Amino acid sequence: MQTSSEEKLPRKLEKPGRASRIRALRKSLVPWFFISPFLILFLVFNAFPLGFSIFLSFQEWNPVAGLNSMKFVGFKNYLSAVDDPWLWKSIYNTVWLAFAANIPQHLIAIPIAYLLVASLKGTVRHLYTATMFVPFITSTVAVSLIFFTIYSANTGILNQWLLALSTMPFIGGLFSWVPDVMPIRWLGKSDLLKPAIAFVVVWKYTGFNIVIYSAGFLTISKDLYDAAKVDGCNAWQQFWYVALPMIRPFIFFAVTLSIIGSLQLFEEPYVLTSGNSGGVGQAGLTASYYLYLVGWEWLEMGQAAAISWILFLFIAVVTSVHFYFNGRKGLEGNQ
Amino acid sequence: MSSVTLKNLSKSFGTVKVLHDLNLDIEEGEFVALVGPSGCGKSTLLRIIAGLDNATSGDIWMNDKWVNDFSPRERNIAMVFQSYALYPHMTVEENIGFNLRISGLSKADIKSRVSEATDILDLGQLLDRKPSQLSGGQRQRVAMGRALVRNPDAFLFDEPLSNLDAKLRVQMREEIKRLHQKVRTTSIYVTHDQIEAMTLADRIIIMHAGRIQQMGTPTELYKNPANVFVAGFIGSPSMNFLHGQIQTNQGKAQVLLPSGATIDFIDRGNLPADGRVVVGIRPEHLEFATAENRDNVFEGKVDLIEPTGAQNHLKISVNDQTLTLVDTSLRELNIDDTIRIHIPVEKVHVFPHSE
Repeated sequence: MQTSSEEKLPRKLEKPGRASRIRALRKSLVPWFFISPFLILFLVFNAFPLGFSIFLSFQEWNPVAGLNSMKFVGFKNYLSAVDDPWLWKSIYNTVWLAFAANIPQHLIAIPIAYLLVASLKGTVRHLYTATMFVPFITSTVAVSLIFFTIYSANTGILNQWLLALSTMPFIGGLFSWVPDVMPIRWLGKSDLLKPAIAFVVVWKYTGFNIVIYSAGFLTISKDLYDAAKVDGCNAWQQFWYVALPMIRPFIFFAVTLSIIGSLQLFEEPYVLTSGNSGGVGQAGLTASYYLYLVGWEWLEMGQAAAISWILFLFIAVVTSVHFYFNGRKGLEGNQ
Repeated sequence: MSSVTLKNLSKSFGTVKVLHDLNLDIEEGEFVALVGPSGCGKSTLLRIIAGLDNATSGDIWMNDKWVNDFSPRERNIAMVFQSYALYPHMTVEENIGFNLRISGLSKADIKSRVSEATDILDLGQLLDRKPSQLSGGQRQRVAMGRALVRNPDAFLFDEPLSNLDAKLRVQMREEIKRLHQKVRTTSIYVTHDQIEAMTLADRIIIMHAGRIQQMGTPTELYKNPANVFVAGFIGSPSMNFLHGQIQTNQGKAQVLLPSGATIDFIDRGNLPADGRVVVGIRPEHLEFATAENRDNVFEGKVDLIEPTGAQNHLKISVNDQTLTLVDTSLRELNIDDTIRIHIPVEKVHVFPHSE
């Protein structure tokens, strides 16, 4: 057969006219129109404050005194922040809490999620998961206030329980030391304050991680467990050799969220120390908490902006280290 | 190697019974294919033999040992899954050697056994790759390697080729057959593809609705199907079926069709008392009538021509019934041509209508 494609081509190719240029322009503008709600909000509430905080970090400014009180001070805010022992203390506390609160969260969440997925089905599993998720959606301030009363030295239920345990028939011996140290001031002693805060964080966020890990375990095909059984794996080996490596991307994701979250830890320590300069010996002073004190209690906005940028740098470094060592493997886990 | 015996095996999911009192003997070294349409219970049966599911009642014997309570590991079986079920986070080498590692073999032993298996399957170049870096055929081979490496008593295959393209499927089919001829390990192969079953198996078990319909060699099943289901399932294109009533005319057994036409057949017994039957004729046994043909000759009109290269499949309308005919002579025909077809009397199958 012969093709007649040449004959079908237009005899004369005309350049696009004005109308078609306008049409092309409109076509290229339409997508911008549709994403403009986000763009406008982003520019006003994200991009501008970001730029403004850089500008601010080179100024001395008391917001109460108005915009005219702004004074350019160069790198002074950064230099004094670096010299500030409270800043370093707050960073130390933040890192301490990040480890103490994160590691248990994941060590508890992974096996619980596995057991939920492996042993329960449908509605029952959802019910359990939802129950464990409740702390996460409860107001942090409310949770912290309740724990504040639980930790109370004289009337708190925690100390009462410990006392009760010390009088129990069989296990009482293990708690025989309790009456001698009563009242234990959980929030009033610098060495107990951090663990007390860490426990609240673990209690609040473990449920969230259980949900993430449950989703992870649910993605694993049943065939893989069957293959593992045929390969001779017992229940523990199925978990260790098959399930755990398979949820690596989920572990990576959950740990990243935990790292970022714990470096921004504010509400729990703030409420548990009654907003009182980070509690006894600043043992509960986290970096965000300190930032708040500098900016809103002491009204040194320039200094606060400089600290926030130092904090940003710190979070960026920590997250990069995490990405460098775990990211590639983590993201590749399912491949 | 091991023989497998099932006695009165049943399986129910809740109130739904999916396997009904199955009895089965698989000889040592035999290659058996379990065939049937989707949902007939063949995969469930395989999983019960593997020890991945429990039977509701009945007994499973392997090598004369009662294994109902045995784990897959204790049964020493290896299984190849439809999805291959390779561990995505392990390399080919780790995948194949995993069960040896779980068994506590030394690293050197694992390495040598893995390399033996990979040599047989030609996987030597791929040992360091992850499953995601392999093609479908290569993954399939790794799955085979994983089964092969442990010298199991029985191989269980759960539709292992259904995720491959047609060409690769034929190639892997040959490899599986060669492998079985080499190692002669008892193999149970589940498939819904009758060609796969016919080409691979020493013996085929046809299942339907949780019941075994017929067992036998591929040729037996093709030549002497026990019922309409088996007759329709084995053979491609499938058998032509016509309903009718048996009668005897001048000493000849005949089936009277609703149109008034009759088909002669050879009475092999087992005919129903009420005389209602289904006549089955394989499309490849229908032929163009010649001048010598006297009986079983019908006139029909060509409805449709499906060329497949080596043969044409013709749909022929005869007395308001459509019959399929396989024409290997590739005769030049047009739609609506009138032709005369002949049904050889010895090729006519007759089944009781109740089925």
